[in-house]
Amino acid sequence: MNKNNKDLPQSISADKGNDAVCLNRRRFLSKTSRCAVAASAVVLGVGLFAQNSYAANKIGSQANVSLLKMARDIYPHDNLADKYYTQVLTPMIETAAKDDDALAILADGAKSLDQIAQQQFGMHYIDIKSEQERVVVLKQLESALFFQNIKGALMMGIYNNPELWPLFGYGGSAWEKGGYINRGYNDIDWI
Amino acid sequence: MSTKFDLNDASLVVIIGSGAGGGTLANELAQKGIRSVVLEAGKRFNLSDFENDEWKMFSKISWLDKRHLVGPARLASDFPNLPAWLVKGVGGATMHWAGVAMRFQAHEFKMKTTNGTVPGANVLDWPITLKELAPYYYKAEQKMGVCGTEATGMPFHGESNHYKVVAEGARRVGAKCEQATLAINTEVRDGRPPCQVNGFCHQGCRIGAKWSTMYTEIPKAEATGKTEVRPESMVLKIEHDESGKVTGVLYADKDGNQRLQKARVVAVAGNSIESPRMLLNSASSMFPDGLANSSGQVGQNYMTHTAGGVYAEFEKPVHMYKSTVVPGIVHEWKDNDPSRGHLGGYELEILHLGLPFMSAFLNPGKSGWGRGVSDSLANYDNMAGFWICGEDMAVESNNITLHPTEKDQYGLPIPVIYKTDHINDTRMRDHAYARSQELFDSIGALKVNKLPSYPASHNMGTNRMSERARDGVVNRWGQSHDIKNLFVSDGSQFTSSGTENPTLTIVALAIRQADYIADQMKKKAL
Repeated sequence: MNKNNKDLPQSISADKGNDAVCLNRRRFLSKTSRCAVAASAVVLGVGLFAQNSYAANKIGSQANVSLLKMARDIYPHDNLADKYYTQVLTPMIETAAKDDDALAILADGAKSLDQIAQQQFGMHYIDIKSEQERVVVLKQLESALFFQNIKGALMMGIYNNPELWPLFGYGGSAWEKGGYINRGYNDIDWI
Repeated sequence: MSTKFDLNDASLVVIIGSGAGGGTLANELAQKGIRSVVLEAGKRFNLSDFENDEWKMFSKISWLDKRHLVGPARLASDFPNLPAWLVKGVGGATMHWAGVAMRFQAHEFKMKTTNGTVPGANVLDWPITLKELAPYYYKAEQKMGVCGTEATGMPFHGESNHYKVVAEGARRVGAKCEQATLAINTEVRDGRPPCQVNGFCHQGCRIGAKWSTMYTEIPKAEATGKTEVRPESMVLKIEHDESGKVTGVLYADKDGNQRLQKARVVAVAGNSIESPRMLLNSASSMFPDGLANSSGQVGQNYMTHTAGGVYAEFEKPVHMYKSTVVPGIVHEWKDNDPSRGHLGGYELEILHLGLPFMSAFLNPGKSGWGRGVSDSLANYDNMAGFWICGEDMAVESNNITLHPTEKDQYGLPIPVIYKTDHINDTRMRDHAYARSQELFDSIGALKVNKLPSYPASHNMGTNRMSERARDGVVNRWGQSHDIKNLFVSDGSQFTSSGTENPTLTIVALAIRQADYIADQMKKKAL
């Protein structure tokens, strides 16, 4: 059990650090918080692509919404805007639009997601309210190529995304800034 | 750099590999006027190739040729094609290493004598002692520029945030913790600058403050005119004559052309997977089990270190990445004290990963997802932790073999690595996890994550040293028992793993081996 289960923005606002990274983090966050609010305002029907767009039709309207939900359940950061998840999935869908095998993996995967959801909870994956119950569904697909492809892409797209590093408090490349020898090498006072 | 030797020059030493063992051996021989060709499978990099980016550098410099990792260990399912995290390039794994330079302890050369027979393990004493190696350790520390040692007089790096957090935890549970003796400059030394703490030691030191053969031993050797380095040269086979002496090395050059370089002496230094693989691939009608393998020990006793990770999350920031990668070591449990429930010791090496690698290693493999993982990653900046690095028991069935059918891009059988825990490894790791929990609880950790092993950068034992020819592959000089002009110059010589990081010992052995080779050549014994 993690007693430190603050979501990203809360942990940022609690952060009393005063170095440049923290300032950047706060600026960044105020931006993403707005995005998050905007995203959560469109609760129903929010998907990877605009409804009835070419791409949405290509993967099917149900998959369009369930894949985004699934992505958010794999690495949930509640106040991270949908676009950070969408931009990971978009290239996969674009590939699928041109490659029948890739399309089959995605479309079949999304279908099994709903099949399992129907069997166990009597509704579409997207309609299951409890994250814990959606995780029960996902767990059964965990070994599938479908799931692992998306998980792998998300891991890179979220945690290896320099745009998001300040939000996580990670500094990224440092050599060109002279390293940390004079930039916070020994600046914490709580220990 | 412009020296070129003739393929038919049979008076040369041919060194395979340019890392800690091969690079050091080449320079030591060159300084004595002995000529060598260094065959390196990877290409040459420049400091400007080193980016502060974990995944970019991983794909740029890692040894990614196909390998199979098998066995019941979790590592085999998490990383089925990446048993080891090593480098392909001039400088080898010294590009990637964290710079931790510690001497072995006396008992680690005598694990059999110290503990007797260990059921299920193939433990053996080294044919050399700490006392014998001590002067070479001193030379290695001087050569590499190890801070915090008498050999250099160079000060430690100073206490980083990450160090302070772990050191306070250690203090509260009564465990000894010290700054790490790193082969990373803290002053201008040997024409290289002091560390500016980029925090990317594993990605290649952009400013060259960390010792790597890439920009120390190799250019120094080349400057003598006695050494030719041939990058992108993949060894296919070591050849021998009817008397059983090795005569040359067949390799594929960068264009895929096969070349045969004649040799007076061959030294194998391709790390503990490639070195035995080369010997096995060189099987002939005279040596059907591979070269230097009358004992059957080539490729056996593959050791990594008994490893794992522990990363604790705190209420407040640690900024662990604003540090040398390994700022300090908890030494408390490095001795051999069977009353703990395991033989051999372990170190807790304070070590940071960047966010990208933390996301890959926090809970690696298929099941590493969900709120537990992402909540912890959201706390990345509040994390402190270390890597467990402990003595790994030699087990004969942990080994490197050749795949019966699958071949790589050079047409060579793919190496198959079988590696799993000895019960002692499991007990040691459990002990380390429990002590780590106490250490972090003592300073108010909110969550303590226990990470399984990730692909090993410490690979040892597959051509081990032994007093008697029947117990191992090489003698006290790294010279093969069976073929006197064939040497092993890397960590595959290690008879036991010790708890310390292997590089300093590899360098000390290479300096010592160079003295021996020079002496034997002078006496015409080689």
